[in-house]
Amino acid sequence: MPENHLDFSRTDELIELLTKIRDGEPSLVDIMAMAELLATTLQPYFRKLDTSLYGELRHIAQYIVKTKDEIGSLQANHMSEERIPEAGMELSAVVDATESATDRIMESAETLMAADPSDHQAYADLVNAEVMNIFEACSFQDITGQRISKVVETLEFIDRRISRFASTLKVEDKRDALSQDEISREERRQKQILHGPQMSGEGVGQDDVDALFGGDDGAAPASQDDIDALFH
Amino acid sequence: MSVDLTMPVLVVDDYKTMIRIIRNLLKQIGFNDVDDAADGSEALNKMKERDYGLVISDWNMEPMTGYELLKEVRSDSGLRRTPFIMVTAESKTENVIAAKKAGVNNYIVKPFNAQTLKNKIGSVFGE
Repeated sequence: MPENHLDFSRTDELIELLTKIRDGEPSLVDIMAMAELLATTLQPYFRKLDTSLYGELRHIAQYIVKTKDEIGSLQANHMSEERIPEAGMELSAVVDATESATDRIMESAETLMAADPSDHQAYADLVNAEVMNIFEACSFQDITGQRISKVVETLEFIDRRISRFASTLKVEDKRDALSQDEISREERRQKQILHGPQMSGEGVGQDDVDALFGGDDGAAPASQDDIDALFH
Repeated sequence: MSVDLTMPVLVVDDYKTMIRIIRNLLKQIGFNDVDDAADGSEALNKMKERDYGLVISDWNMEPMTGYELLKEVRSDSGLRRTPFIMVTAESKTENVIAAKKAGVNNYIVKPFNAQTLKNKIGSVFGE
């Protein structure tokens, strides 16, 4: 214990009392006096201890309040109860709309494919009607565009809040934090080489693939140069 | 095309619309005997029941991918000679290489057109 954490002003009394206790049977009053003297002597140390402990606890309390504020700012309930379900519904609506439009367009195309062109007027009327049907079906694009914009807006909303949370609390990504389900999916993705559709400019084109397979005539097998070309 | 247009063709894709598109394209080419399956395992079962002249398969399906189907087909003595074309949006080089190593006969990158499908079928049958 550092010296400056003790009060030495009553040292003489303490020595006198200790001597008395050592030389004879200590009374209850002696013991109480001894305890009082020791408490007085250690008072500065306890004060110092209290101050630093108080500071630590206050710091922790402030951090908890700040964390609670940040968690509140995340609007996690708003996200999970409103924004994310809404985004899911928007995407489902997009899938439904594109599926419905594709179905209408294919119906028209199949009708045209099966049409009998021998009656020119009837054939022309049918073509006009089916082409109009295709135009109408294509109007889905405007609405799905708006729906996707709303989903993008939600993703940006989530991104802003998560980024602010991580930045303010200096959160570092924890390694191996994936769930068992996520690990299984990732393992399957790697084993089955599943990348999904590539963005424009990524991946290889049909011409590169054809080069690897030796062209359409299939005569020449791909050389190492052909394969190497795919990696550039 | 001197390909036997009467041979049965199996189209494997988990999207009904894509099956419908490929069916229509095959019909335009002249194939009329076309079956379909929604994933690799269903396709494998169908292949064990019927002798298909050509398999046209997507890659990304569940539970069994087209890549797994290809490897299963090539390791089965009764099926290994079946011509197999992969039609997929998986256009990374490693996918093409992996499919070729696994024994695919040709590889079509989505989106594709009727002429590409026709050319690849012709190529597989040596035209």
